[in-house]
Amino acid sequence: MTVDVRTQTPRLRRSKPARRWAVPYAFLTPAGVLFVVFLAIPILYALYLSFRAMKVTGGGPFGVREETWAGFENYIATFTDSEFLAGFGRLAIYGVIAVPVTLGLALLFALLLDLPRVRAARFSRVAIFIPYAVPGVIASLLWGFLYLPSTSPLNWVLNNLGIPDVEVLTGGALFPAVANIAIWGGVGFNMIIIYTSLRGIPNEMHEAARIDGASEWDIALRIKIPLVAPALVLTGLFSLIGTLQVYGEPMTLRPMTNEISQTWVPLMKIYRDAFARDDLSLAAASSVVLALGTLVVSIVLLRITQKQAFGEGQ
Amino acid sequence: MRTSQFMAPAVLAAAALALSGCSAASGDGASDGPVTIEYWAWGTSQKPLVDAWNASHPDIQVKHTDAGGGSDSSAKLVTATRAGNAPDVALVEYNTLPAMIVAGVAIDISDQISDLSDDFAPGVWSQATFDGTSYGVPQDAGPQALTYNKARFDELGIDVPTTWAEFADAAQKVHDADPDTYITTFAPAEFGGFAGFAQQAGAEWWSVDGDEWTVNFDDEKSVAVADYWQDLIDRDLVLAEPLLTPEWNAELNDGKVLSWPAGLWAAGVLNGVAGDMAGDWAMAPLPQWTEGESAVAFQGGSAAVVTSSSKHVEAAAEFASWMATADEALKIQIREGQYPASLQGQELTLESDPPTFMPQQDDYWKIAAEIAANTIPEISWGPNVNVASTAFQDAMSAAVTDGTPLRDALTKTEKVVVDDMESEGFTVTAE
Repeated sequence: MTVDVRTQTPRLRRSKPARRWAVPYAFLTPAGVLFVVFLAIPILYALYLSFRAMKVTGGGPFGVREETWAGFENYIATFTDSEFLAGFGRLAIYGVIAVPVTLGLALLFALLLDLPRVRAARFSRVAIFIPYAVPGVIASLLWGFLYLPSTSPLNWVLNNLGIPDVEVLTGGALFPAVANIAIWGGVGFNMIIIYTSLRGIPNEMHEAARIDGASEWDIALRIKIPLVAPALVLTGLFSLIGTLQVYGEPMTLRPMTNEISQTWVPLMKIYRDAFARDDLSLAAASSVVLALGTLVVSIVLLRITQKQAFGEGQ
Repeated sequence: MRTSQFMAPAVLAAAALALSGCSAASGDGASDGPVTIEYWAWGTSQKPLVDAWNASHPDIQVKHTDAGGGSDSSAKLVTATRAGNAPDVALVEYNTLPAMIVAGVAIDISDQISDLSDDFAPGVWSQATFDGTSYGVPQDAGPQALTYNKARFDELGIDVPTTWAEFADAAQKVHDADPDTYITTFAPAEFGGFAGFAQQAGAEWWSVDGDEWTVNFDDEKSVAVADYWQDLIDRDLVLAEPLLTPEWNAELNDGKVLSWPAGLWAAGVLNGVAGDMAGDWAMAPLPQWTEGESAVAFQGGSAAVVTSSSKHVEAAAEFASWMATADEALKIQIREGQYPASLQGQELTLESDPPTFMPQQDDYWKIAAEIAANTIPEISWGPNVNVASTAFQDAMSAAVTDGTPLRDALTKTEKVVVDDMESEGFTVTAE
């Protein structure tokens, strides 16, 4: 066997140098094809669409719509649409609630589970993680029923105590109510990432700290949290991108309240333009803006946190 | 017919079924042998209709797909038409039909169906025929009526109101008797319902002369309708909340919401969410703005159109006509709770039992026929009803939430509608 290989290898190198050169590319091909077909082409097509528009041509009261060039018309419409911009404002309020609470709870639970002599760790881990396995739409329907006064068990208890209903889907409670669904679903996932990172810290560090007389609180604050900073940055980035893509929860709650408009967050406005108003071009332009915005925010976040978190950079 | 977006679980289940059915939806009719045509429609009566047709028409076989309710189905039709693979026949709501014509989905089938015009009341026929060009066969109709909780009305000693002024008085009486009970709901997102009230008052949101459009959402009449509901909301006499939510359904079942002014299909919808109350409810003509008048507008109802993707236009038109005019088909429509659009179908209802939800109301179909005979003829919907309804829903909901006047929401809607038509290239004037 060994002899065979030895005799063949040089022959291969001499006679078919091209084939060797092609091997890595052959391995890359499936990924490349998938990338081009399912990512590059759709992105380019969306870009193309964003510069098009449907215009009415032909006679009669209705005419027939045809696609034409529109230049930057759709981008101008996107940036001058006060509802699209207001959507980002609502997103900011939502994000300010959802991101810190999700990450804070995830970190807290991870640290608690990582304590020595913790009881029922496996059960707790699974219990905290399970909501992540519930699809967002179902979670929203579930919470929707809990929020509505007539179907809410909380209000049933309150009413029996003679206290009036709590309205959750109206007024100031709306943002926390929507954010709560994402927090409920997201804590478990983020906790697992942070917890995994915590388990990767060598035990010697904890032992050394304990010998030096550090309390569990000190260990958490001075050793564990700084060492899981990369995991925190990662989960923070995921949460931020998740926030920019909020759609399922408000969309599912919308029929239950007057307060969530069809343009409540940017993605809902894009959906409405594309499918309720049949304006794919405007939706494409808004999508490009949203995608570029997400990219810029992600890069800025990484730049800011990279140095502390990963100890990289100059 | 009308599938509400609020019945989320049901819609999801239907979507899942539709998706799982997709894989099988490929085979196309060969040129020789039996022709196979595809049909997109929603609602409980469509499958029995298709089964009955297939049993009696071996040469033209129809494949039914439930592509979602009115607006979902229309959105998919537009996309499928651009890809050239829309179904041969599709059900389209009357108010979305103009948008389907502009998008190139529905084609002119005047030659195939012109001899049917006498089978329909002019007001119904005009929902799918514009300027003498027919784009669809009207299948069902939804003239507005008042569906009310008769048991509770009787209990509170309230007579069925015949005018909107009496309705407001009745609202006051209901509220005086029980502050937690409301005569009805004003759902700010119900574009079709409000449009019907305004049309009943004489409003014309879109009108067209040649190819010049006039858009007028905030005319005196519509504003008066908005002010009427505004007053009831301000006096806490109606609930201003969305319809068919778990919340609303609970209130309905508790006897805290006592009526629903909506299309004749309301009985079927209520049966779905409050089936235990069957026998307590009844239907009456919609209250009038002026005493002694009897006209009402449509809310919902749909026509079967033939699409530009169809390679079997003759067969498709024949199937669309059959569903609206054949005795067998009409009986299925009635059995499933649809109010047929054709005169013959409306006559057939008189021999039928009242709907499941109101088994005690023996004159149900008689009243329905009287209402249907008095619908407002020639209601014209514009080419961008989809834009109008989305703008209306958000503007009205915001007005209710923020406590700003409903009439301003009409002005806002008009601006969005006009801007959209202008940017698309229509000649349009705002009034």
